Amino acid sequence: MSTSSPHALTAHWKKFLAVGVVALAVVWYFAFAGVQHHDNRQALSVLVGSLFWAAVLIGMLMLTMITRVFDAGWAPLIRRNWELLIAGLPVVILVGIVPLAFLPDFRHAVWYWTDGSHVLPSGHEVGHDPILIAKSWFLNESFFLVRIALYVGVFGLLAALLRRWSFAQDTDRTAGHTHRLHAVSAVGIPLGAVTLTMLAFDCLMALSYHWFSTMYGVWFFALSIRLALAVTVILTYKLSNGGWLDGLLNQAHRHVLGCLMLAFTVFWAYISFSQYFLIYTANIPEETFWYNIREFDAATGLKNEWWGVSMYLIFGFFFLPFLSLLFYRTKIVAGRLLAVAWIILVGGIVDLWFNAIPRQVYEKSAPEGFVVTPFLTSSLFLDLLAIVGFGGIVFALFLRGAARQETIPVHDPRILESINYHE
Amino acid sequence: MNERNERIHGVACTFRKVSDVFHAAEKVRDAGWKNWDVHTPFPIHGMDQAMGLPRSPVPRLTLLGGVTGFITGCLLTWYMNSYDYPLIVGGKPYWSVIFPFPVLYECTILFAAFGTFFGQFIFNRLPRHNHPLFELPNFARVSDDTFMIVLEARDPQFHLDESRNFLQSLGGQEITVIRD
Repeated sequence: MSTSSPHALTAHWKKFLAVGVVALAVVWYFAFAGVQHHDNRQALSVLVGSLFWAAVLIGMLMLTMITRVFDAGWAPLIRRNWELLIAGLPVVILVGIVPLAFLPDFRHAVWYWTDGSHVLPSGHEVGHDPILIAKSWFLNESFFLVRIALYVGVFGLLAALLRRWSFAQDTDRTAGHTHRLHAVSAVGIPLGAVTLTMLAFDCLMALSYHWFSTMYGVWFFALSIRLALAVTVILTYKLSNGGWLDGLLNQAHRHVLGCLMLAFTVFWAYISFSQYFLIYTANIPEETFWYNIREFDAATGLKNEWWGVSMYLIFGFFFLPFLSLLFYRTKIVAGRLLAVAWIILVGGIVDLWFNAIPRQVYEKSAPEGFVVTPFLTSSLFLDLLAIVGFGGIVFALFLRGAARQETIPVHDPRILESINYHE
Repeated sequence: MNERNERIHGVACTFRKVSDVFHAAEKVRDAGWKNWDVHTPFPIHGMDQAMGLPRSPVPRLTLLGGVTGFITGCLLTWYMNSYDYPLIVGGKPYWSVIFPFPVLYECTILFAAFGTFFGQFIFNRLPRHNHPLFELPNFARVSDDTFMIVLEARDPQFHLDESRNFLQSLGGQEITVIRD
């Protein structure tokens, strides 16, 4: 192959790996230093970075299985890139969430329900909290660690099966693999849905374990698909300008991705609003505190920084992409679709911040007995560095996979339909 | 000339193959025709472009309907809960954008659906009980195994003999004059 071939960019995988390793080393160093000084904010950077890419790749895993089950004619050309990317899904959990959960210092810093001596805003210790005791059949450390290991196992197994038989079809050219992948996906969709729900419960909802929302898993699913589609649009745009999708990606592919982005933007808003709306209507203190600390200061009643973040989510993460994507031309003009994809990507990071960072921290001198973790801190840069770090690992694996496998599923029964896809 | 045209709806011609009717449509489009149509037994992908059809204007009425619905929902809930009979429910304000939101978006969806449904009736000029094409003896075959291009007399380019020759040059099979 000459160096100017579409696959020349796979040679850059080592650079991505180097960036990823260096960035993650820095993030883990700060997280370690923070935990030594009883500051958990830097450890949350690891969680945010790991969960961001876990969400992207879980979204791609679900899209891979959904397009398999529905025999989507447009999908094979784009799906191969998802199949190459989801190799990173178990890895981002393994180098992010798994060490956080299995190393006691980090576990206590991130999930304070695991730290019996942690002081709650009420002044009581977690170990004597009747709410935790009532939930301890689920929220106990050994079951928690088993669940974390299961997330790696289930996602790793699904990703491996979906990749293995799809790649096998490139060489042995049998249609049987398509039927086999159908079956894997039919089982994998409900299995993946339960796993991602529990992952969202354990990694995010349990950060403030007094609070509960049955819609949380669906919210995480909606966010995952939105982020997966945004990354897909950005990646396919790059790959169609000098990569292996050059001359293959057409207007109809952009249109279908744009339509899906619109649909899941509405779905995300529907789920996020419904969660808020039910809690607002019921007005029960054990639920409303979660939104209250994200809106105003408990002592003064004045809006806090998180109120601005909430408004950004409503206008920047819903209305802006929603109103833009309503227009047909936004979905077919490559530059416009790319701009919306970046808006969704940024909004997804803000949504993770909104869900992961604000917590009540015991402060004896504060009027209400607690302060809320602030939004604007230098740790935001560490969060972004963590996202870059995990992203480096994900794309190093992606490019390495692309160098070894076909980047177009040449013997997929629907590949011609996919390449010639039209509106 | 004009007197004769008033009694003529247009000229129809049939094709036997998809590729024939597709390329013929492209030539009619390139000749600058405005009032003409293609009839096929099944949808032909790419025919919109081959005919040079613009995108449907229906989504504009959908958007208009949606915006109208949202405003109607706002006015409805504000008038009833906050103006005509102010009522405190569950400690919530008389009116805010949050508690009536299900009403607001349901109204948005309902009116957007009205806009779409009635919009397609308007732009398709429906309901319509009869059409001169239905009198054509072989018109039923365009829902079976024949394709048809119809050039209408109301197009400024229409001239009976020239249009007939034009269709012949496109490779049409049976050419029929349709009378009103």
